[in-house]
Amino acid sequence: MIVTPPILIRLALVVFVSVLLQFGFFSQVPILGSVANLLPVVVVAIGLLGGAVAGAVSGFATGLLIDAMIGGTPGVASLSLMAAGYLAGRWREGYDIVSSLVPPLLAGALSALAALIYGGLTLTLGIDAPVSVLALREALVQGLLGILLMVPVFPLVRRIVRPALVDDAGRARSRTVAGPRHSGRRGRFGMMRGQGSL
Amino acid sequence: MYRKQVRRRRAILVVLVVACLMLISISISEAESGPLHSVQRGVSTILSPIGEGASRALKPARDLVDWFDETWEARGENEDLRRQVAALRAELVKTRDAAEQAGYADKLAGLIKGGELTGYTPVDASVIGRSFSLWYGTIKIDAGSSDGVSRNDAVITEDGLIGRISQVTGGTSEVALITGGSNAVTARVVGGGPEGLISGVVGAPGKLDFSLIQGDKEVKDGDRLVTAGFTSEDGLSSRYPADIPIGEVVETIPAEQEQREQVNVEPFADLADLSQVTVLTGGGG
Repeated sequence: MIVTPPILIRLALVVFVSVLLQFGFFSQVPILGSVANLLPVVVVAIGLLGGAVAGAVSGFATGLLIDAMIGGTPGVASLSLMAAGYLAGRWREGYDIVSSLVPPLLAGALSALAALIYGGLTLTLGIDAPVSVLALREALVQGLLGILLMVPVFPLVRRIVRPALVDDAGRARSRTVAGPRHSGRRGRFGMMRGQGSL
Repeated sequence: MYRKQVRRRRAILVVLVVACLMLISISISEAESGPLHSVQRGVSTILSPIGEGASRALKPARDLVDWFDETWEARGENEDLRRQVAALRAELVKTRDAAEQAGYADKLAGLIKGGELTGYTPVDASVIGRSFSLWYGTIKIDAGSSDGVSRNDAVITEDGLIGRISQVTGGTSEVALITGGSNAVTARVVGGGPEGLISGVVGAPGKLDFSLIQGDKEVKDGDRLVTAGFTSEDGLSSRYPADIPIGEVVETIPAEQEQREQVNVEPFADLADLSQVTVLTGGGG
């Protein structure tokens, strides 16, 4: 991803709108004894499109913003979301996204991981909250909901940051030169290893 | 070139992790009036109107989801409820007498209307946000210091006590729920029962534990608990007014050797689905 000031503004808007949606909607709609968490899903999408640094920085910023809004301990949400964003970015830099199932499954796994890290930190720090084995159930539910949320979120985030994606710019150039038939060997998301990272 | 990228990536990651750990460490170690908490309150004050606006704008979407949810549940529960109505009708006759004796339902209605609780002014508020995790027992409401809300004011619904105000900004407040780890409420069993302390249950968000202060009296399933609202001789008083319904005893586990008797309580208020609450202000809490 080539991060220019306009793209930075777009990413900031994506993060801000996600936090508002989480605060005003998802957090207030109980599902299966938990709530859907849009934030790790968006951070994973940014990590998958922009690489490890973009994922980690967006996770850090998203965590700070949500902690400021809900009055949580600053740094806890940042650390868990940062881990999700960074790992998504590392995946993107190391492997091809050859199937349309990869982003949702990755979002599910990393949402569950973020929930576990969040629960673990809460437990370790003795923050005013009773934590238990229910952490595992919440992580599982948030993972499953993360899979479902990623289905619309990934294409949407990708569309928003499209001008910054090296991958898409390259494809657009190759279409101009060789016509629409020339596509090369790419995954279903049109991505290849090492492309699109910050 | 690649090594330089890797070094840069690692450096950024380390900086961010250290920043997070420092924030956590400072936040836990410093006092409520410390600089980090002040900055957080300031940011919260700035962002609160935006969050409140988003919450209001998204209310129709939440209502739509609730409507689907309730319709789905109602279809499944319809038959069960028909059968239960007959049984409950008979039970109602018995329990009405007891409830009227205790008077807690009438008292709560009076409490909410502000008619019977001298010195407290009820302030109605809407829930505009809650944590995305089960473990933080907090919600955010759209009433703040400009509405007369102060730290430690009791917060109730028509069903009973839900918590106390833990943080206040100009237009919003944060409520620490009674099921959270930071709250303990002195309570008594209705009808001359024992007094004790109500607190959240570790590992069961939404449940309460009643630990007896007066151990010589018996507690049984179905007993109802209200706030004790004590005032000691040296002027120390409870944060909560007396006689606000809290919940019902659902399970009592007898003491074995060193362990104390365990009394599990289910709160009357549905803490997972709060939309309107009332803050009891002006009580000196």
